[in-house]
Amino acid sequence: MRRLRTAFQVLVVAAVAVTGVRHALGWSMTTIEKYCPFGGLETAYALVTRQKFTCAAGELNLALFLALILLTLLARKAFCGWVCPLGAVLEWWGRLGRRWLRFSSFDGWWRPSDRTRKVLQTVLRSVVLAAVLAATWATGELVFRGYDPYYILFSAHGHDVMFWSYFILGGLLALGLAMPMAWCKYLCPLGAALWPASKPGLLRLRRSPDHCTECGACDDACPQSLPVSSVMEVRSGECTLCFECTAACPVAGALELRAPGGKP
Amino acid sequence: MRVPPWTVPLLVLLCAALGLAGARFLVRPSVVLDLAQAPSDADLRTTVLVVGGLFCVDTAERAAGQLDGLPGVVRFTAYASRNRAEVLYDPAVATAETIRKAIEGPVYDKETGEFLFGLYRVVEADGVKYSAP
Ligand code: SF4
Ligand code: SF4
Repeated sequence: MRRLRTAFQVLVVAAVAVTGVRHALGWSMTTIEKYCPFGGLETAYALVTRQKFTCAAGELNLALFLALILLTLLARKAFCGWVCPLGAVLEWWGRLGRRWLRFSSFDGWWRPSDRTRKVLQTVLRSVVLAAVLAATWATGELVFRGYDPYYILFSAHGHDVMFWSYFILGGLLALGLAMPMAWCKYLCPLGAALWPASKPGLLRLRRSPDHCTECGACDDACPQSLPVSSVMEVRSGECTLCFECTAACPVAGALELRAPGGKP
Repeated sequence: MRVPPWTVPLLVLLCAALGLAGARFLVRPSVVLDLAQAPSDADLRTTVLVVGGLFCVDTAERAAGQLDGLPGVVRFTAYASRNRAEVLYDPAVATAETIRKAIEGPVYDKETGEFLFGLYRVVEADGVKYSAP
């Protein structure tokens, strides 16, 4: 599963990077925004109130956003762990940080309590989401571009990317070394938007106390820093079903993917 | 109920396919501008253009401005995310070629008072490719 997931991530990152460079060189009119599901959410208000799309967003963004909601209702934040190119790059970057700075887990230098993490996640990401949506809906423009790490990273110096945009990206990368995947955990507006659909998500990992030796390897392997070893089921809306925990678990059958119903 | 892990990538692929295929049912224009009243007896035609430089609502509205006042042009509809414009015109007065040239012509920038050249390039008109984007 790990190899398959890495293959998904590499393919998406390569496709988006090539799209960005081709557009920047004038070889193609397809921008990296075309397939971004977050654009679907950004344009939703204009679509409801004026029956028109916002700025460069279009029907593909909206359709992909709706499909993403469906995926999230079924498989939690699988998009973040399997598809999101920014999530992939930040995960690889976080792994590098872990190795260089010898962190034992994806928490990095700061290991907040679960409660603190949840509060921070909710507050910070909701503020970012509210600010982005309010600005987009008020102006009818995708004003977030110059601040959006996805756009800055992959657009090959696209429209609206300023020199200070690279400071934002550099800052997030520096943060991502010290606190692996800090953007995904604490700031990503799409992560905030998906949470209500992800929390009741159908698929979930279940830990079998009969098999589990409580070694904690799953906790350290989880890119989202979820406390896998202390719950019976991972019901967190943050789980990306990346299967890093199952790969790290030394006991076969201790962690299994489950859907409601059937045999317990 | 136990579920095999490959269900997750399978769902990812299915939902991606659903999103890509479902987009066609959500098509809405970014800009629709009625530029002139058509004579009631006119036999109107539509020319479909793929325009380099038309990628958002602003650039679509600017492109529409290029046709403002052009005789025979009735309506301009743009689909910014597809770089696509559909122009309804009266073939007794205008031609697809004059429309194409008008869109590609110099653009007057109200803010600076200058003319901007090469802002739009028609790369495809009614299925005929003209140039690279
Ligand atoms: S709990 Fe397991 S599957 Fe969920 S995000 Fe953490 S490592 Fe990935
Ligand atoms: S890695 Fe496996 S055995 Fe260790 S605590 Fe997690 S579920 Fe239990």
